[in-house]
This record gives sequence, C-alpha cells and structure tokens, in this order.
Amino acid sequence: MATKTMRIEREIVRSERETIFQELRKAIGAEKVRDDEVTLVTYGRIRHGFDIMWPFRKPSMVVFPETREDVVETLKIANRHKFPVTSVGTAAIMLGTTEGGIILDQRRRDKVIEINTDSGYAVIEPGVSFDKLTSALRGTGFKCSVGTMPGPGTVLGQALSRGSQSFSTRYLSLVLDLEVVLPDGTVFSTGSSHFDGVGSHLRYGPYPDLAGLYTCAYGAMGVITKAAIRIHPVNEVYRIHFAGFDNYSDAVDYVKDLVNNNIPEHTFIWNWHMYLTWPLAPSDMEAVMPQILESDFRKPPEGTPYNLVSSFLSGYKELVDAYEKVCAKVAKKCHGRVLSDEEVEKRFPATLAGFRQQYGDYSYRESVHWNKGRFAGWYVFAEPKDMKEIEKFAVNEFSKFGKAINPVNYYSHPFDFGRSILLRIGGFPNPDDIELRKRISKKFDEMYDVALKRYGAVPIRPIGSDRAETYMKVLRSIKKALDPNNILNRDSGLFEEE
Amino acid sequence: MKLSTTLKDVQAAAARCLREARCTYGAWPENHPLCPMYWHEPSFTFSGGGYLFITSALLDNKIDFNQSITDFAFSCTGCMACDSNCNIIRSHEPYVDILDIIRLLRSETVKRGFVPEGVAKRMYDEVKKTGDYGQASSLKLPDQISSDKADTVIFAECSHTRTQKDISEATVRLLEKIGSPVSQFTERGCCGSTLYDFGFWEHLEPLAKATWEKMKGLKDKTFVFINPHCQEFIVKRYPEILPDYTSINNQHISQLLADAFKKGKLKSKKRGKVKVSYHDPCYLGRGLRIYDAPREVLASLDGVELVEMVRNRENSFCCGARALGNYVPNLSEDTTRERIKEFEATGADLLITACAYCKENFQNVMPGKDKVKVNDLIEFVTEHT
Repeated sequence: MATKTMRIEREIVRSERETIFQELRKAIGAEKVRDDEVTLVTYGRIRHGFDIMWPFRKPSMVVFPETREDVVETLKIANRHKFPVTSVGTAAIMLGTTEGGIILDQRRRDKVIEINTDSGYAVIEPGVSFDKLTSALRGTGFKCSVGTMPGPGTVLGQALSRGSQSFSTRYLSLVLDLEVVLPDGTVFSTGSSHFDGVGSHLRYGPYPDLAGLYTCAYGAMGVITKAAIRIHPVNEVYRIHFAGFDNYSDAVDYVKDLVNNNIPEHTFIWNWHMYLTWPLAPSDMEAVMPQILESDFRKPPEGTPYNLVSSFLSGYKELVDAYEKVCAKVAKKCHGRVLSDEEVEKRFPATLAGFRQQYGDYSYRESVHWNKGRFAGWYVFAEPKDMKEIEKFAVNEFSKFGKAINPVNYYSHPFDFGRSILLRIGGFPNPDDIELRKRISKKFDEMYDVALKRYGAVPIRPIGSDRAETYMKVLRSIKKALDPNNILNRDSGLFEEE
Repeated sequence: MKLSTTLKDVQAAAARCLREARCTYGAWPENHPLCPMYWHEPSFTFSGGGYLFITSALLDNKIDFNQSITDFAFSCTGCMACDSNCNIIRSHEPYVDILDIIRLLRSETVKRGFVPEGVAKRMYDEVKKTGDYGQASSLKLPDQISSDKADTVIFAECSHTRTQKDISEATVRLLEKIGSPVSQFTERGCCGSTLYDFGFWEHLEPLAKATWEKMKGLKDKTFVFINPHCQEFIVKRYPEILPDYTSINNQHISQLLADAFKKGKLKSKKRGKVKVSYHDPCYLGRGLRIYDAPREVLASLDGVELVEMVRNRENSFCCGARALGNYVPNLSEDTTRERIKEFEATGADLLITACAYCKENFQNVMPGKDKVKVNDLIEFVTEHT
C-alpha cells in the first residue's frame, strides 16, 4: 500500500514538473529552459564546484533568463506551483541547491548597463564578472574596488556573499542599489532608483535600507536582477607601500593606525606563506609551492617578514608623498620595517608583479592558488585587540594539523576603518581524503564556537541559527512575508531547521 | 595522454574545476568569447567544465554512458580555447589538458559501442573495417627537386578530400619554385590524429607505431607538415603514446615558405592590391603556437594587405569544422557563420587559412558566389609567386 502511495506521489510530482516545464517554455521561450539529462547532471553539484563532500542534488530543470521579465515569469510560475528555485551565477556557490527544483542561472544576463562617472557608480546585470567590469571601466577614469575574487567571478556574487573583499577604508560596501524580484513577480529597487527617473546614486533613505536584507541572504529573500555598485576615481598617482612585521599583533596595530587616519585606499596583512605564493604564475607555483608546503608557517626564514602589509596609496602626488612618510613613521612606531620597491622587486618579484596587476588594472585574474587542492578556510571578524588573541589561537590550532593543511591562504585586513578585522586562515588539504576533511570541518566548527565565546569573533558564514536565535526569528518572519511558499533558495542553509 | 589512461586516472584533476567559465573566454581586457559551444549556448554544461563534471558524474554513477553523452562528447569542436585559458586542470596529475579529457570521454563512449550518427559513424565504420582512416597518398615531386638524400622531408598525409589533394598539388608547385631538394614521407594511412581526436583509440596504436617505424629512419631530417593536425599529433602526442619515440625536427609549410621568402628563393609576382584576413587554424595556432610564419608569408606578397579579425592568434575563434556530435543543434554551421561574419567585418577581399578542414568548412557555409573568397595559404602563395 505504501509503495503504491509513493508511486502515485511520484507520478503527481512528475506530472507537475512537466506542467511547469511546459509553462516556462511557453512563457519565456523553449531555448531558455532545459531539462536534458546532461544539463541536469552538470548542475547537480554547484556547491563548492565538484566537491564530493557536498550532496549531489539534481534539479529538474535549468532556466537561463535573458531579461528581467524572464526572471519575473519564472518566479511567478514556480510560486504558483510552490516549486523551489535556486538562483545562481557563473562560479561555484557557497551554499546548497534543492533536489528536483529549478536552477535559475543568470550567467546570460551579463551587460554593463551604465557607467556613471559623475556620481561614481556602475549599473550591471547579475552575470557581470570582475573581468567584464574592470575591462569596461578602462579609459573611463574609474575603477571598481580591489577585489580578491578571481576575474571570472561575478561582481554581485562577491558583493552579496560578502566574500573577503576589502572594505578597508575608502570603498565601503560595493552595493548601492539592487533591483529585486519577489516570488509573486513584484519588482522593486532598494536605493534611490525606486523613484521614477532617478539614478542609483544613493543607497540610504528616506526609507529603511533594504539592500542590507539581501546581503548574505544567498538568494533566499528575492532574486536580484540588476545592481548599482560603487566605482571609484583613478587618482593622479598611486603607489604600493610595503612594511614588514615579525608578528601579527604589530601588523594589526599598524593597519589600524593607518586606516584610522584615512591614509591607504586599501591595505592588507599577508602571512609570508601567502605573499610568497599567491601571485605566482602556474609554472613558478610548481617550483615554489612544494617548499612552502613543507615549511612551518609559523617560522619564516631569516629576514623574511612574518607579515607583509601592502598599502595602496593614491591621490594627488603631494598627498601620496606625505602618505608614504606617514606609513614609514607608523611602521617604525609599530616595530615594523619599510621595504623599498627595490628590495621587494629583488626579493619577492612575483609578489610585486601580482600587486601591480591587482592595483594597476584593479583586477585579479589568476587563481593558481586554487590549484593546490580543495580549499578549507576558517574566517572570522573581531575587534582589533581580540583579533590579536584569535590569531594566536588559530595558528596554534592549525599547527596541530601539521602538513595536512598547511595554511598557505592566510591573510587579514581591516573592515570599516578598522572597527573590525577579518582573519582568514586556510589551506588546501587533499581533496580525496574525505575523512581528513570531515575532521577539519568538525574542528573548524569547534574553533568558531571557542572564538565566539572566548573572543567575541563573528564567523563570515552562517554557523547554525541557534547562536542567533532572535535575529533568525525576525529573519524568518521577513522571509515568510516575502516568500510565503518558501520557494527561494530553500536549501541555502540559512533557515536550515525549518 | 597515454592511451591506457582511464577516466578514473583523470578524476582528481577534473574535480579541480572551479566552475568559473575561465575556459570559455580569452585574455583580459578583451575577454572575447572563444569556446564555440559556450558562445552558442552559455551554460556551465557547454563549457570545458561541463565535460569535466560529466566525467566525474559518470565515475560517481550519477549518469550512465548513453547516446546523449556520446553526442555531447563529440559536440566539442576541439579548438583548445579552454586549455589556453585554464591552467588548473593540467596542474594536477596526470597533467593532461581539458581537451584530452574530452577525447578520453569519446574513447570511453566508443568502447561501449556509442558513436554519433553521420560523419563520425562513417569514419568509425571505415576505421573498424580497415584498421585505418584514409590511404597512402604521395606527392608527385618533380625529378629536379626530388632527392632521397634531401634534408627536408615533406610529410605527405593521407588526403581524404579534393581540397586536401589541391593543397598537396599546390605544395608541389611551390616546392618546385623554391627549387631546394626534398624527399617525401608517405604514411600507410592516417598518422592517428583523427583517430585520437574522435576517440577511436582501440585502433590507434598500430597505426601510430607503423608510421613511427617508417619515420624513425629519417629522424635526423626535418619533417615539413602541410596539415597542422598531423604535425600537432605527431610532435605532441607520439611522445605520450610511443615509448620509443624520440623528438624530430619539424616545421609547418608556412615556416618553410617564410624562410624561402627571406632567403630570396621565393619571389612575389607584381599583383594588384588585395586585402586579406588570416584565420588562425586551432591546431596550427593554439596547438603548435605558430602564429607569425603565415603572417610573414602574407607580408612577403606584393600588394597584399593583411587586416586582422577581432579574434586572432591565441584568441582566434574556431571555424567549427570538427564538431561531429549534434547535442547542440547547428553548432558547427553557426560557428562557421560567426567566423565568416567576423571576416566580413574586416572589409577584406579574401579569407586565408592554413588548414584544409577550415577551408572546406568555410567554403561549405559561405554563400555560393562568395566561396571563392576562401583560400588556403599555400594555394594563395602559389598564385602570387
């Protein structure tokens, strides 16, 4: 009897899928909706790329919208049938998709709609990559903020998932204004463009800031179909200033002092493992990385600073000259040492070349670091004084893994003028050693707990809503109001206990 | 890639894909779309990454071998744009290219009895029946240049079509004009390139061995190739397939012609002005990284002005000739049309290429009256010298 009931249920589901499939093809065009086996399978594990650590969830169809109206129609049909939809872009996503649902892949919506050099923003479709935007900005006298996302990654993915892109001083959030589609087909803008005929120059007011609701929401609150993002003028001159430190604590004091005084446009603390390997070309990586992976990340060779701080200085020449002097003064005060361009060129030529690429054309195109295995990273935000302790704690915990996860991907930088510091420490364990990776994952969870309780450290990704009960309760109420049928990114992990 | 490589062997490398679509477009800042499949149908599925994922999914029992997988595997045009732009896959054991994994996927489908209908099926039937593809084809070298003692050996590949035969004949006329002694190497049939590309691997090793057995007696000489597919395969793949392979001196015919112009052995006729655009064949360009020689040859011709297409050299766009699967309908023709549109935008009078497959494909798609606009480099030089 139970088997018969299950069979009938499966038939109903199949017939409903077929109905939705036909409705969608009719509404937006057959060529934009696919349900062939090869397509469905290749969209079965978007979470973290091909990582077999994560479940395989085959969708029942994949939709490739080309216009906002395509998105509206897709959501309206899915909502009417209470059918799950997960919106994705070009790269791997951080959180889960839904088995048997619709994948809404917005990669074909990749136009740079407007570059406003008067106000300083670019209006883009969700599929626009950093490569595309940085290329479009060439010659305009404007740049987008320095990202840490590889060139093919989408700007919006970076902005909304709050990757470790630096908000260090002058950049603030990438997002100014979002155009959102809700499951019932309602379309609205979160910033100043919600007024007819008004551009996207203002994020805040006169109403509550709804763009914030879509940050770290992983598509669960609505589908973004357009965004205005901040762009910044390319100033008269720029220089990259380097200072070396023998310990993390001094490096934090240094960057905090600099950003508090609004000196650098952007600043980063790099662990020696990272600054020696991150910018390398693949061939150099093969030569250098094995030695690095064999070494103890806590003990750099004699004369190699434990931390290198790169500070991007820009503005009128007179100001940049003065900034350099200030950097040198503050470095000395914080027990650091200024490294001249000549010294960096001589000792760390690939590092300098990498910075020149990143700051020269404001794009980060290489991802050779990611060749090295499957990334396992631990990231937290904390207040500066706490972060100094957290770094010691994290380094100690990581050292227990030994070479199984030598943290070559290890950096830190100030957010919001130094109010909060991000520490990212991670490595590339053998992707096929699932047991080790599970152990690492479990260990990271324990570390998040300790860091939160002992040091007040906030994780970068959701770690279970039991630690933010009231906050999640409010969020769930909002989710229910916006998406009463819970069709959007249902398995994103944000509301996992529902 | 070794012919003994299995899908399991490449699983870990394939799994490194980051799903970034870097395999689909060219260098920053132009970011030109280069992968014909992705250009036609932008989707993760129709990118190098899609093939890598299907490889993983087959091993993970998420999908079985079937006719659809086969058609999909054979739909890639094999243009190598993916491997020009993604360094990730080849950085891992067994250090192979994305295109190699696609070829391996084809071979695994063929092994299981799946071959796409049409051209691929006809090829495979011939290979199955004769153990070869094509037949020995020799050049009619005039006595005054033909010498077994010559240091230069022209690799006379198996010419399957009229186009290939015409190009071979034009080659002979040019060699005669140059006047230096040459000998020729005649294959038994296919050097193995076509069998390798299309996954007919069960029959490949004997062919490659037979060719190499004949070649190795001449290995101190310089082999000159007309077809870049043969050259790429022998120079890059024989070392992986044949344990006793030792490297050979080799040149593409365009390099020989460029040298001949430089040494004054070949002289251009006085001709009226003509604007030409050069299409980089994928195997000559991305495969062998020979970009300059054909351009130097064109620059040596009187009255010839070269105008580049937007996508050129390592960022060239494929002609679409080698897509034999039909998973993406009209992919081959639409790719060719797109390239022809790009040629037309240059305002050039003639489209010159240096690969018989490209020439045939362009001529097949080019409207009737314009077919004469498509020229092979060798034939074009023959007319102009």
